[in-house]
Amino acid sequence: MKGESRTNAKFKSIIDMLSRSEILRPTMPLLALLIIASLIVPEKFWSVSNAKIVLLQVTPLAAIATGEMLVILTGGIDLTPGSALGFTAMISALTYLSTNNFYLSLIVAILSGLIIGVLNGLLVTKFKIFSFVATLAGLAIWRALTLFISGGKLIYGLQPYEIFALSLGNLIPLGFVMIILVETVIYLLLKKTVFGRYLYAIGSNEEAVRLSGVKADLVKLIAFTLAGLMYGFGGILTIGMAGLAVDPWTGNGFELNAIASCVMGGIMLTGGVGSPVGAFLGSLLLTLLNNILILMGYTEFYIRQIITATVLILAATALSRGLKYVK
Amino acid sequence: MLIRLENISKYFPGTVALKDVTLELKGGEIHGLLGQNGAGKSTLVKIIYGIYQPDSGNIYFNGNKVLFKSPRDARMYGIVLVHQELTLIPHLTVLENIALLGSLYNAPLYRKFQEDEFFDKATKMFEELKVDIDPHARVMELRASEKMLTQLIAALIMDARVLLLDEPTSPLVKEEVENLFEILKNLKGRGLVIVFITHRLEEAFEICDKITILRNGIKVGTFDAKELKLEDAIKMMLGTEVEGPSTTRKITNLTKEEQPLLIIEGLSTMPSKMGEIPLKRIDLEVYRGEVLVVFGLLGAGKTELGKSLIGLQRMKTGRIIFEGKQVDIKSPVDARRLGIIYLPEDRRNEGLFLGLSVLHNATISSLERFSKFFFIKSKHETTEALNYFRRLNVIMPSLTDSVSKLSGGNQQKVLLSRALLAKPKLIVLDEPTIGIDVGAKIEIRRLVYELAKKEGISVLWLTSDVDEALAVADRIAIIYDGEIKYIVPNVNLTRDALTSMLHN
Repeated sequence: MKGESRTNAKFKSIIDMLSRSEILRPTMPLLALLIIASLIVPEKFWSVSNAKIVLLQVTPLAAIATGEMLVILTGGIDLTPGSALGFTAMISALTYLSTNNFYLSLIVAILSGLIIGVLNGLLVTKFKIFSFVATLAGLAIWRALTLFISGGKLIYGLQPYEIFALSLGNLIPLGFVMIILVETVIYLLLKKTVFGRYLYAIGSNEEAVRLSGVKADLVKLIAFTLAGLMYGFGGILTIGMAGLAVDPWTGNGFELNAIASCVMGGIMLTGGVGSPVGAFLGSLLLTLLNNILILMGYTEFYIRQIITATVLILAATALSRGLKYVK
Repeated sequence: MLIRLENISKYFPGTVALKDVTLELKGGEIHGLLGQNGAGKSTLVKIIYGIYQPDSGNIYFNGNKVLFKSPRDARMYGIVLVHQELTLIPHLTVLENIALLGSLYNAPLYRKFQEDEFFDKATKMFEELKVDIDPHARVMELRASEKMLTQLIAALIMDARVLLLDEPTSPLVKEEVENLFEILKNLKGRGLVIVFITHRLEEAFEICDKITILRNGIKVGTFDAKELKLEDAIKMMLGTEVEGPSTTRKITNLTKEEQPLLIIEGLSTMPSKMGEIPLKRIDLEVYRGEVLVVFGLLGAGKTELGKSLIGLQRMKTGRIIFEGKQVDIKSPVDARRLGIIYLPEDRRNEGLFLGLSVLHNATISSLERFSKFFFIKSKHETTEALNYFRRLNVIMPSLTDSVSKLSGGNQQKVLLSRALLAKPKLIVLDEPTIGIDVGAKIEIRRLVYELAKKEGISVLWLTSDVDEALAVADRIAIIYDGEIKYIVPNVNLTRDALTSMLHN
C-alpha cells in the first residue's frame, strides 16, 4: 500500500516536471511528428527542399503566434493577428509599388502594426472593453481596410521582399534567422526584465498587481503594442514567403492558427503561463503537421483542416488532463 | 456512530497533507477540528465531502465502506460542506441558491423552478433560525456572514445529516456567533453529525463535545472538550510551548512634539462599490514609527479607510497630509510613490499571485530597486528578499516554488515582505492575521511590531480582533459605522473596556 503510493508520488513528480517545463511540453509531440514523418514519407520529408519550405512557412506564423502569446499572457485574447498581417502586408506592398522605396515600405508595415496594437491596447485598457470584443471589431475593420486599399486585387511585383526567403548556407532562410533573433529578444524581455515580471503577474492576478502600486494598464498597453509590432513583422515575412505577391485575403483566419500555436505550445489561455519558446514550437508543430499531411498526399484543404483541428483538441486535452492530474 | 475514517493519507506534490488519520464522527455530537494552518483540517473535510480522494485509507458510512468521487456523491449521503469560498452563485438570488444547493442540484434539467415551494420552506427556516436575510437579494450583495448562513440553510433544507463547517465563524461578529451556536445546539439535538473547524479556540471549547487536534497532517489526539485545557490544546497544536497573547508589546513613549507622518482631516467618502460604507469626517494622525490600530467590527469602515489612503475610495470632503504636504492620492501607484503600501484583507484575490513563485510574489512592488535599464539583477533581488524572509521567519520549500504551496501564515509573511521590500514609510495592514493559525498570528504581531519600531515605519493596523488590538497598538482608534468614535492610548486598557467602547 505504502510502496504503491510512493511510486505514485514519484510518477506524479515526473508528470509535474514535464508539464511545468515550457520547453519539454511541445517538444514531445514535435518528436512524435518527426518520427511519424520518418516512418511514412522519409524521402520526401528529409530533403533540403522540404526543410526550406518548412522553415519558410513557419516564419510568419511564428511571428504572429509570438504576438498573440504576449496578449494571452496578460489573460486576454487577440483576434486581430490575421487581419493585421494582411493589412500590414498590403500597405507595405502598396507603399513599395508607389514609392519604389523598399526600406520605407518595411517601416510602414512595422508602424501600421504598431498602430493596430496601440489601438487594441487602448480599447482594452482605457475603454475597458473585453479584449475578445475589442479585437473582434479589429478583425473586421482591418480586413475591410485591406480590401479597400487594394481594391480587392492581387498585388504583385514585389521582388525586393525575396531577400527574406533567401537561404543562408543554402538551407536557412534569412526570415527564419530574423524570427529566431526576435524570439530571443522577447524571451529575454519576458524573463529578465521588470516588464516581463509584471506581465506574468497580471496574467496571474491583475487586481493584486494594481493594489501593489504597479501601472498595470501601461504594461497591458505595451503588451498589445509589441504584439502589433510582431504582426507587422509577420506581414513583411509573409510577402517573402508567398511568392512576392499579396492577396487581399492574406492571413484570413490566421488568428486561429496563432491561438492554436499558443495552445499547442503550452501557453495557458487563462494567462500567466507560457513563453516564446512555446509559441515558436507550437507554430513549428502546426506547420510541420500541415507539411507532412501534404507530403502524404492530403492536398485538399478541408482534410488537413480536420486533422489539424483534431490534433489541437488532443493537445489541449493532454495539457489540461496533465495539469489536472498534477493538481 | 455514523462516519468512520480509517488510516486516511493524502499527498500533494512536495507535501504530506494527511498521514494515517483515523477518526470517528458520531451523530448528536459537535466535533471540533483544531490545528494550525497546514495541519490538514481543510483537507480532511474536503476528503469527507468528496472534493479530494484519499491516497490510502477508507471511509465508512454507517459501517458501509464508501468512496466519494465528487461532492455530488457525498451529498447523496446527506453530507454538506459549508465553506466561505465555495458553492454560492453570486448572480443568483438567495432563494435560487438555496433551491439549487438544497435540492435542485440533483433534479433533472427540465424541472421547472417553482419559487413558491422554496420560498415557503426557506422563510420557515429563516424564522426558525432567527435569520434576517432578504430571500430575493442577489448573493453578491450579501455580507460574508449572510452568505455563510445562506449555505447553512440550504444544507438544512436538503435534510443534511452531516454538516462540515469550515471556519463558519470567521466572518461573523459576536452576536452572530452566539446566534449560530444556538442553531448548532438545536441541530445537534436532532442527531446531526457536525464537524466544526475554527481558529478561535475559545469558540471550539464553548460549542464542541469532542475536539480532535491535528498537527502537520498527523492526528495528535481526540479529547473530550470538557476535560481538555486551552493551554494544552495550544501546546498540542503548536508542538512547543508558546507565550500567551497580548504580552508581546513593550510600551514605548512616542515623541509627540514632532509632526505626524500622516494627517487625515475631515475625510468623508462616497461608496464606490456595492457594500461599501461611507466614511464620515474622519480625523486621524499617525506618527513616525507608531502602530495605530483602527479597531471596529466587520463593516465599520476599516477597509474603506485603508483603501482611501491608496486612492481607491471616492473622496467627498477632507484632505490627506503626508510628511507635511497635502497630497492627492489617485491610485495605488501614487500611494507607493509616497511610500504608502496597503496589504489587503483578501489575500487570495487581491494579494497573492498563486501561479508565481515565492520570490516573484515578494518583489513585485520593489522591482525598480533591483533593476538597471529594466533588467532585473536577480542576485540583488534574491539577497534582499531572503533577508526579509529570514527576518520574518518565512518557511518555504524554496524561492522558486509556487506561493500556493505555503501555509496561510507564511503566505501572509511573503506579503509582509513585499510591503517591507518597497521601503515604505506607512504600511496599512487590513486584518493581517485573519484566517491564520494561533502560532503564526502571535509571531506576525510580534515581528511587525518590532520591525516597525526598529525601522521607524508607521503602521495603520485595521482589525476586528480585540486581543490583536491590545497586543500591538500604541494607540487605538475605535471606528463604528464609518466614524471614529474614540482614540485612546493603549495603556492599562482591558478587553472589556475596549469592547464596551464598541457598543457605546
